[in-house]
Amino acid sequence: MKFQIEDVTVYFPYDNIYPEQYAYMVELKRALDAKGHCLLEMPTGTGKTIALLSLITSYTLSKPSNPVKLLYCTRTVHEMEKTLAELKLLHNYQLHHLGPSVRMLALGLSSRKNLCINPSVVSAENRDSVDAACRKLTASWVRAMAIENPNVRTCSFFDNYEKAASDAILPPGVYTLQDLRAFGKEKGWCPYFLARHMVQFANVVVYSYQYLLDPKVAGIISKEMQRESVVVFDEAHNIDNVCIEALSVSVRSQTLEGAMRNLNRMSQEIDRLKATDAGRLRAEYNRLVEGLAQRGNLPIGDTWFANPALPDDILKEAVPGNIRRAEHFLSVLRRLIQYFKGRLQTENVEKEGPVSFVASINTQVGIDQKMLRFCYDRLHSLMLTLEITDTDEFLHIQTICDLATLVGTYTRGFSIIIEPFDERMPHIPDPVLQLCCHDASLAIKPVFERFQSVVITSGTLSPIDLYPRLLNFNPVVSQSFTMSLTRDCICPMVLTRGSDQLPVSTKYDLRSDPGVEKNYGKLLLEMVSVVPDGIVCFFVSYSYMDGIVNSWHESGILKEIMQHKLVFIETQDVVETTLALDNYRRACDCGRGAVFFSVARGKVAEGIDFDRHYGRLVIMFGVPFQYTLSRILLARLEYLRETFQIKEGDFLTFDALRQAAQCVGRVIRSKADYGMMIFADKRYSRHDKRSKLPGWILSHLRDAHLNLSTDMAVHIAREFLRKMAQPYDKTGAMGKKTLLSQEDLQKTGNGIGEMLF
Amino acid sequence: MYSLLVPSFCAINKLSSALFQGGNYIFEFDSFADRDICREFVAAAIAFHGETGKSTSEKPAAALQDEQLSTAEMEHRIKLLQEDNELQRLHKQFVIGGILTEAEFWATRKKLLDQNDRRKPKQRVALKNEMWSVKPLSDGQSNRVTFNLTPEIIHQIFAEKPAVRQAYLKFVPNKMSEKEFWTKYSRAEYLHSTKNVVAAAAEAAEDEELAVFLKQDDMLTNEARRKIRRVDPTLDMEADVGDDYMHLPDHGLLREESKDVLDSQYEPYRRYFSQDLNQHAAVVLQGRVVDVELGDTRSVAEALARTKQAELANEVSDGNLEKDLSHRISRVAEIEDLQGPRDLAVAPLCIKDPRDYFDSQQANALKPLGDAGSGVKTLKFNVSSVEAYGSLRELISEIRVTGLSEPITDPEVAFKVLSGLTQNISSTKYHLGKSPHESILDSLPKVTKEDLLHHWTSIQELLKHFWSSYPITTKYLYTKVTRLKDAMSQVYPKLQEIKESVQSDFRHQVSLLVQPMLQALDAAFAHYDADVQKRSAKSGERPNGFM
Repeated sequence: MKFQIEDVTVYFPYDNIYPEQYAYMVELKRALDAKGHCLLEMPTGTGKTIALLSLITSYTLSKPSNPVKLLYCTRTVHEMEKTLAELKLLHNYQLHHLGPSVRMLALGLSSRKNLCINPSVVSAENRDSVDAACRKLTASWVRAMAIENPNVRTCSFFDNYEKAASDAILPPGVYTLQDLRAFGKEKGWCPYFLARHMVQFANVVVYSYQYLLDPKVAGIISKEMQRESVVVFDEAHNIDNVCIEALSVSVRSQTLEGAMRNLNRMSQEIDRLKATDAGRLRAEYNRLVEGLAQRGNLPIGDTWFANPALPDDILKEAVPGNIRRAEHFLSVLRRLIQYFKGRLQTENVEKEGPVSFVASINTQVGIDQKMLRFCYDRLHSLMLTLEITDTDEFLHIQTICDLATLVGTYTRGFSIIIEPFDERMPHIPDPVLQLCCHDASLAIKPVFERFQSVVITSGTLSPIDLYPRLLNFNPVVSQSFTMSLTRDCICPMVLTRGSDQLPVSTKYDLRSDPGVEKNYGKLLLEMVSVVPDGIVCFFVSYSYMDGIVNSWHESGILKEIMQHKLVFIETQDVVETTLALDNYRRACDCGRGAVFFSVARGKVAEGIDFDRHYGRLVIMFGVPFQYTLSRILLARLEYLRETFQIKEGDFLTFDALRQAAQCVGRVIRSKADYGMMIFADKRYSRHDKRSKLPGWILSHLRDAHLNLSTDMAVHIAREFLRKMAQPYDKTGAMGKKTLLSQEDLQKTGNGIGEMLF
Repeated sequence: MYSLLVPSFCAINKLSSALFQGGNYIFEFDSFADRDICREFVAAAIAFHGETGKSTSEKPAAALQDEQLSTAEMEHRIKLLQEDNELQRLHKQFVIGGILTEAEFWATRKKLLDQNDRRKPKQRVALKNEMWSVKPLSDGQSNRVTFNLTPEIIHQIFAEKPAVRQAYLKFVPNKMSEKEFWTKYSRAEYLHSTKNVVAAAAEAAEDEELAVFLKQDDMLTNEARRKIRRVDPTLDMEADVGDDYMHLPDHGLLREESKDVLDSQYEPYRRYFSQDLNQHAAVVLQGRVVDVELGDTRSVAEALARTKQAELANEVSDGNLEKDLSHRISRVAEIEDLQGPRDLAVAPLCIKDPRDYFDSQQANALKPLGDAGSGVKTLKFNVSSVEAYGSLRELISEIRVTGLSEPITDPEVAFKVLSGLTQNISSTKYHLGKSPHESILDSLPKVTKEDLLHHWTSIQELLKHFWSSYPITTKYLYTKVTRLKDAMSQVYPKLQEIKESVQSDFRHQVSLLVQPMLQALDAAFAHYDADVQKRSAKSGERPNGFM
């Protein structure tokens, strides 16, 4: 359908539109017009992504004079694929209606591991070894050597790509990672480097958060994006955590040992080089004098992670004299590692700020702040000079230099925590030195400054006024949309008591109570016999899940559950979990029915949808609080209290409830879909907890459903499922329209937004 | 106690035997095995009577068409007749009544027979969704622990643990006996159940065969790596790892998990319950892949190994994978309920009960009846070749500019045609009904209604055979047509009878209903007469004709 929002003609690839999608587009357009940032919360299951994509692409179409580029950030690769699939749908629609003049280039970008098509490279185990294997074949010096010596192996895909030079372009279209690989195979070009190159020219780029937020990656990938871009962070409810993690490092004793080995290897290389090609080291020295820690424009095959500090904070000056010579730099690093080793031997937990940490480094091993700041770039330069290709072996020393650079750059918003052992296992020494970032606004600041519009959107951003504070920005639009439902297709319930009327909770004192475990098991058992198709269960942590599943197994409850449905479980191994999910879906597809056990805050909760028959019921066992004894968390809470006057308890509840809402929100995808949500913990019945849930859940949480026991919940579930199985009128005939056609929109014009709220 | 229901089965049996007088029988058995034996016996007996019943009824004239039927085929036919009341009545009327032969009757229903042939006679039993939990039975006095293994469990173990299967094929019986093998396996399971990884590692170091069971299953890991490539990209969490550039994998706020500190040498001996759980569910989902007797352990193991290899070969040769995957994503991407009525046009039409369907469509069909006629344009049939060429060129150039619109037929037009057709078809049957719910038929007395419907189907059957016999080329067809003609001529008085039997206020409606039947019959007779005349004229010219 096609309609006007003020001066923009929006092309929407469906015949109908939800009123909230329309309202969402109106708000989004206002933000784009104002060239400002915005914060939009819209419930899952209302087609956020397609609304967003069609508005922004239509906006560009109607303003051909200054086309905006869309940088769409997703949390995960599979969301990236899903987004691109929706974009493809939209693009086909636009092509169909407007002809070939609206062709655009849209592509997904990921690491070599997901894009490489060279079988010998991609078979490597993890990302770092794939990267290293690629460098071994594509680094400039390797290729230079290959010209002289035909025995040196190179990558034919990269060679072809280089040979094609400026001819190597992607024709317009929408490319998922799969399509990129297929295109690369067909042409014989390396899809990774092709995609990296085409990113500059693309109208839409879909990639992971970290390509913008993590300075190491953003420095090489997103460096050249123009200011006239719209950046979208989808599923952004956890964006503060991503920002924080992007600037945090931790060092263990294994890291230090590994770094020592790296240093030894490097000093051997230096000795070898001195004997054979001393000129190269001298050239490096001269370059460093001129202040070029980076070699300027590196060939694309040589790029490595950029500096871990944010671009604005990197000094543009000469490298300090005492680390210019390679041997001197190595000895500085040796001393630094020695110092860290000494710190790790502590008996007590230590916590200090970066300033005092740097001061103590200076007094004890004589390395000043400026030297620390240059560590990373100096290491990078040295590794290029030494022509090291197996970069995956050198991760340890990179970590040390990351830490040094960060600690030398920032004086606030960070703290250093040294723990000699894990709090829960005091008898096992496991020392760790952690540099923790507490200020989420640091990592995202350059994004807000560089791009004209940043859109932060998710199904759960409640309370919506907290995010601007955490991320320190001023949105021009900050709006939370409710969901207009044709029928009550979601049914949230709070279950406080088990079948024996005793309270259930994952609170510390009740957590391992066998009665609670049994009650939880009985709840699931009752539900599997009532609910058709798929059921998803979320637990508060892996260890809790393992424990309770084991105890269900021993008490025979699991066996009874298996009489009704197949059981799949999330593990820490992603391959296994992915296969389990695939099987789960197949079991739901074929009508066998299945239960999936998963963990709140886990990878599955983060990005897998359990829509339609893949999830008719989701049970959240317990409140997914963070581990409150963690020093890192405590330090962050302290920082939040001091800087933003946010109370610890409030933040913890907010964080736990957004995770819970995120988990249960996975069951619904459209208004034709339906699902139940059970919050199984007595603490959910308390107002201070419950009120933190997003509005679209709260508005369907009836008072009668606030304090249920298992038998009542089963009764409600039966009734609900029976009601939902009836045919209904999609357009919502009773009073409110919940599905709008083109005529509806033309008739009411812009009054629709007001009609809704 | 189990019971078997023999449904009423009078049509054939009444003729020949007093054994099955019709009605229901309930048999009680002590066990499934008894029941199965008895069922076979009864089926054979029924088939026998059925056959004798038919052979008496079949006219010798049809003997040249007589086919050799196996008992199985016969059983199918009997079953079909039992299941479908209407079919049974037709069969009774025409076959046993001698109008059609058995072969002729079934020849028009080949499809029914085919479908039934393809059906597997034996139901395939799924695997039990029950994990073999090691609950060792200990007698409490000695240190002996007992495990119970049944063929079913062994099958499950082989299916879920390829390494054990492989070990079995390798070791038994060359290296150790079957009993030794399972003892060793049970020992390993016992060690796992104690969750003492260190002890397991120690034992494994001493006994390399035991180590096979204690170590993690490499075959499973390899299989997982292979399968991950075929997984739905919208689920692939493994790909996410490639984009995770956080400094260290175990940093962050989510660290709540206790880190197991264990030397790396013990790592291969660790096993997680969750792994077993997933593997078990995957195997159950896949179902019983081998069809061998469970008693023979070796053949089970070999069969499983073979299917695995076949699977592997299939995967390698499967080139459509990528297309399949991208198709799957695009399907996931769509939001169904925003999609307009476009879905309607492409929904596959599957009419299970035509009577119901046309009945319900009648109301819709009658509505546009009025405007349907006005929309039809008269087509010009006489076109010169120049004109035709010109219009074709025009069409092609138009397509070149705009491209083929999709779907090619305008859905509106298609819908119009469909409803037009529906109206046509339904009106031939009940063109008086005003709405599906108050069909004229329902207002008639039940007996009359049934009679009418029955006559309608039987006339259909007769006409089907009648028209399909033309042109008459053999003597056999000639006799068949004569038979059919006789049967049809008998229908007239019967219809008249129905008309007269109803009360006067229904009579008009009934006669309207009967009208199309009569017309159809009249048409058949007209054709018959014309044919006979033509034939006699022909035979007059050529006295030595085939007649």
